[in-house]
Amino acid sequence: MRPPLLHLAMPRSLRARLLIGAGLWLAVAMAGSWLALTALFRDHLQQQVEATLATHLDQLLANLDFPADGPPTVRPLSDPRFAKPFSGLYWQIDRPDEPLRSRSLWDVALPLPQDHPGSGELHRHEILGPRDRPLLVVERIVQPPSGDPLRVAVAADRAELDRPAEQFGHALAASLAMVAAGILAAALAQVTLGLRPLGRLGAALARMRRGAAQRIEGTWPTEVQPLVGDFNAVLDHDAAVVARARTQAGNLAHALKTPLSVLRNRMQAADPALRSAVLEDIETMRRHVDHHLARARAAARTVGGSRTPVRARLSSLARVATLAHPDRAVSVTVQADDALLAPVEVQDFDEIAGNLLDNAVKWAGGAIRAAAESRDGGFVLTIEDDGPGLPVAARDRVFARGERLDEQTPGSGLGLAIVRDVVELYGGGVALDAGALGGLRVTVRLPDAA
Amino acid sequence: MRVLVVEDDTALAEQLAHSLEAAGYAVDRADNGEDALHLGGTEPYDAVVLDLGLPVLDGLTVLKRWRADGVTVPVLVLTARNSWTERVEGIDAGADDYLGKPFHMEEVVARIRGLIRRASGQPSPELTHGPVRLDTRTGRVTLNGVPVKLTAHEFRVLSYLMHHPGRIVSKAELTEHIYAQDFDRDSNTIEVFVGRLRRKLGDGVVETVRGAGYRLDGT
Repeated sequence: MRPPLLHLAMPRSLRARLLIGAGLWLAVAMAGSWLALTALFRDHLQQQVEATLATHLDQLLANLDFPADGPPTVRPLSDPRFAKPFSGLYWQIDRPDEPLRSRSLWDVALPLPQDHPGSGELHRHEILGPRDRPLLVVERIVQPPSGDPLRVAVAADRAELDRPAEQFGHALAASLAMVAAGILAAALAQVTLGLRPLGRLGAALARMRRGAAQRIEGTWPTEVQPLVGDFNAVLDHDAAVVARARTQAGNLAHALKTPLSVLRNRMQAADPALRSAVLEDIETMRRHVDHHLARARAAARTVGGSRTPVRARLSSLARVATLAHPDRAVSVTVQADDALLAPVEVQDFDEIAGNLLDNAVKWAGGAIRAAAESRDGGFVLTIEDDGPGLPVAARDRVFARGERLDEQTPGSGLGLAIVRDVVELYGGGVALDAGALGGLRVTVRLPDAA
Repeated sequence: MRVLVVEDDTALAEQLAHSLEAAGYAVDRADNGEDALHLGGTEPYDAVVLDLGLPVLDGLTVLKRWRADGVTVPVLVLTARNSWTERVEGIDAGADDYLGKPFHMEEVVARIRGLIRRASGQPSPELTHGPVRLDTRTGRVTLNGVPVKLTAHEFRVLSYLMHHPGRIVSKAELTEHIYAQDFDRDSNTIEVFVGRLRRKLGDGVVETVRGAGYRLDGT
């Protein structure tokens, strides 16, 4: 289990995660490189400066004379900076009585720290010199032919070291930043390229939900292929479960309704009062079985967005509906694009359109119009007839289960209730009004699968 | 007129057979898809009542095989599922009509009558030939408006001939269409039935075409 804080801090995008990770380790690597390289460069520079100071020290000692009759003297050194006041290059020879100094030091003494280096050893110090400038100092103890030992020191302004180190640091930072930018761009390209199959997978899933595909097709990278395979297996299983549920519902209906048929026929010989009572019960049972069967069928839906070719299906249903009423001379006009698909499963489309057409055939004078189109991101099916229509007050009642407004017209009265049940399972709605043909117009709206 | 009833529920099959026989049809029965496939493919039925939920071979498959084999007999499909998809499948498979369970027995008989009548090209439910009138809805026969009483076999012979007016019908064909499969057939009895029909309806109604069979007299 991941700590919740980390979980919260993680961005939701995989690409952002990978890029943030790459950026973090790049920053650490670049900062580390910069620190190591500048330290290395500074060490190297310091050694150079100190070697130069040691050379100056040797030259100073070579130019140091010890006359027998007086204090030691120094012949001028070759580097002119020793003669120029506060030039940044100094020497000093400490003596018990009066020290000797380079002209560049003017009237300032180098505050050498207390130190007792062995004879001939070189010692290094960092001190503050004239005008509070930091100085690098190299000193050595020299034993004159007579008298006390002398501390001989040569010093250089640390700017000799600091300035090039700083310049190097800037140049290094600039080039490292360019390298980092290059690596980040490469990482971005890699992540984008590497995550592309996920985008394709999303598109394939969306296509499936829209109903344009039944499964996820195509070849996938080895890392994604098992996911696709498993997902397809789940889809197949789902479809199989749905098919089995529908078959079971059908079998149950068969098991109930065949004996109902037998019972109804047996009642023909019964006493009229008993017969009419039992026939009524049988009718009630049949209605319940039909209702729950239709609901069970509609409820058993697969996850994938299913699509039904509207035009061909409407024509078939119209043929079946008119066939069921051979005594009625009715013609059905179907208006729909050949390519139009309804966002429902075939069985559900059949229940919706079939029941509506059946009603229309029962009531129509002679003409029925079934039209379907895609409108406002949804699907709209209208079925209207040129029959007597339905009074406004009665329109709500026809949705009630078993409600039938005219007992003379055969039918269970269940049709519109089933239509509404199925339509509502898909999140749609059914509306009744008066159509252009003069009779009832039923409008079914179904949203596109999200 | 001979009808095949394909239904696996014994009680319902008996009731169907009984009602159809009472309406004047010779009835054969099959209680599974395989037998139905065989009978429908070999016997010349005038109509079939076919339940879709059958053992061995389901009704839809039987129907498709018949149609693929060129069997054109009108078929009334019975089903408990009663879904629109199944109806479309049934009609697409070649069914001529469709009835959901539970049904009224009179409805089955009426649908079968209608199917047979339409299959033989008769637009009206009342078949008329000269003074003879046969109401397919009631099975009643009248001569000049006066009811005539016929036995079941006499009715079947007359009904078959009136469904195919002007066509010569052989004795063998008549035999095949008026007897159920398990009935002890004797083509000589056809002559007996025709003789009785002539006695009841008048000599001119059924004409004998020598060596070929019978034809309703072209009046």
